[in-house]
Amino acid sequence: MKAAAIAQAIRRGQRRAIDVTEEALADIAARDGRFNAFTEVTAARARAEALAVDQTIAAGRDPGPLAGVPYAVKNLFDLEGIATLAGSKIERDAKPAARDGFLVRKMAAAGAVCTGALNMDEYAYGFTTENAHEGACRNPHDVTRIAGGSSGGSAAAVAAGLVPITLGSDTNGSIRVPSSLCGIFGLKPTYGRLSRAGSYPFVASLDHLGPFAGDLTDLALAYDVLQGFDPEDPAQTRQPLEPVTPRLSAGIEGLRFAVADGHFARNGHAEAFAAVEAIARVAGATRRLVVPDAARGRAAAFLITMAEGGNLHMADLRTRAQDFDPGTRDRFLAGAMLPAHWITQAQRLRADYRASVLKLFAETDILIAPATPFAATPIGQANIELEGELVPIRPNLGIFTQPISCIGLPVLAVPLADPTVAGTPNGLPIGVQLIAAPWREDVLFRAAAALERAGVVSAPPVRA
Amino acid sequence: MTEEQAEAFMNAAAAALDLPVDPAHRPGVIANLRLAARMASLVEGKALTVHQEPAPVFRP
Repeated sequence: MKAAAIAQAIRRGQRRAIDVTEEALADIAARDGRFNAFTEVTAARARAEALAVDQTIAAGRDPGPLAGVPYAVKNLFDLEGIATLAGSKIERDAKPAARDGFLVRKMAAAGAVCTGALNMDEYAYGFTTENAHEGACRNPHDVTRIAGGSSGGSAAAVAAGLVPITLGSDTNGSIRVPSSLCGIFGLKPTYGRLSRAGSYPFVASLDHLGPFAGDLTDLALAYDVLQGFDPEDPAQTRQPLEPVTPRLSAGIEGLRFAVADGHFARNGHAEAFAAVEAIARVAGATRRLVVPDAARGRAAAFLITMAEGGNLHMADLRTRAQDFDPGTRDRFLAGAMLPAHWITQAQRLRADYRASVLKLFAETDILIAPATPFAATPIGQANIELEGELVPIRPNLGIFTQPISCIGLPVLAVPLADPTVAGTPNGLPIGVQLIAAPWREDVLFRAAAALERAGVVSAPPVRA
Repeated sequence: MTEEQAEAFMNAAAAALDLPVDPAHRPGVIANLRLAARMASLVEGKALTVHQEPAPVFRP
């Protein structure tokens, strides 16, 4: 069920929040064993929040726009009373969080009901959610395949219909990659738009938080309640609240679309480019614009990620490297050693690359680019053929997302409604990135809503 | 960066940083240093002027 419909039924008194919550908790208990999306179910908290919503309604007060809507968060968000694992074994020793993270407090204030914490790559360093400590998260469209990562549990929980909204993080593609592989909507807002306070950091220069949903209206609802200034995030930019829900019906009249060329037109399987073309056709995008220096931008993000990640975990790398997930450990160790020259040069190149890309927005409002180079791969598969070469899957899943988050542009990952049109293996889902200039999330939602109405964009149904 | 260069770099950096690397982790660290070096060569492939500052800006 969609979040908007749940909230409406509860707000009108047609349903009780506690009943919706009990149904969601029972569903998670019955079905999540197949997906391994949840690492913790916060049943007591969910019941308390739902009862509070029902009491608010009984008292005649406004319960909020997400009244009684079940949601869940990547397990790097602080939830009061629970250790914030960030996908690790090491943090199981950490003290429980003293209070909820900023975005969790925003969801609670809007009446949403937190049902639990979700699986992820350790410390958010990965694109597959094959977590050595918690087990791999499985794609609801084919449970033998990855859900993508690092916010794999966030995407799988939505695609499986366990909750209509989840929250995740994206440093190099960790919202957009799992959105694409699980066939749902995901928003990576402009860098600095949403507060990251009360979440486990990875790469301060590049970390973003954002919502997932199976439906664009729900994604807009979530994004609108998550906005707000928080002095506790030093990287947040003070922006006015810019709700996008009112923009969903605005249409695409006057919006200019272009297909991202160069780096974004190679390095992937045919299905990734076919998905872009299918959406570009409906959007009326006839232009192709080369994104200058995209591969260099990706390389800069790659180095900054390694170095900042390594630095962050230095104390544990020195004393308990064996407790890291083998999938992340060697990268953190190597990252901790990188020469300062590489990192400073990467940060200088990043500024130069940003200036070049921003010029493109004088010619277009939205760039359309692939989200992932291919659809979901089998769990455990390490390599894949790309342009005649066998390459590792893990780093290459982010080849199209990493150059964009490097410079903080807002991106809406949208699922192709009928992935068979793109020729994905077994009709597996695939998504596309809609990319705008900084702070223009509004045009992304306008465009995605029009594409949804045109029937080319929507979450493909999960076949049992 | 050759495998030998990466190994020598790892040994020197590990000593300088007081960061022990378990023998079992050495091949993975070397592979990741070589991958980082390939990324660095891409980054260094574009000449920048002395006036081009790093992206992050500190505001007191």
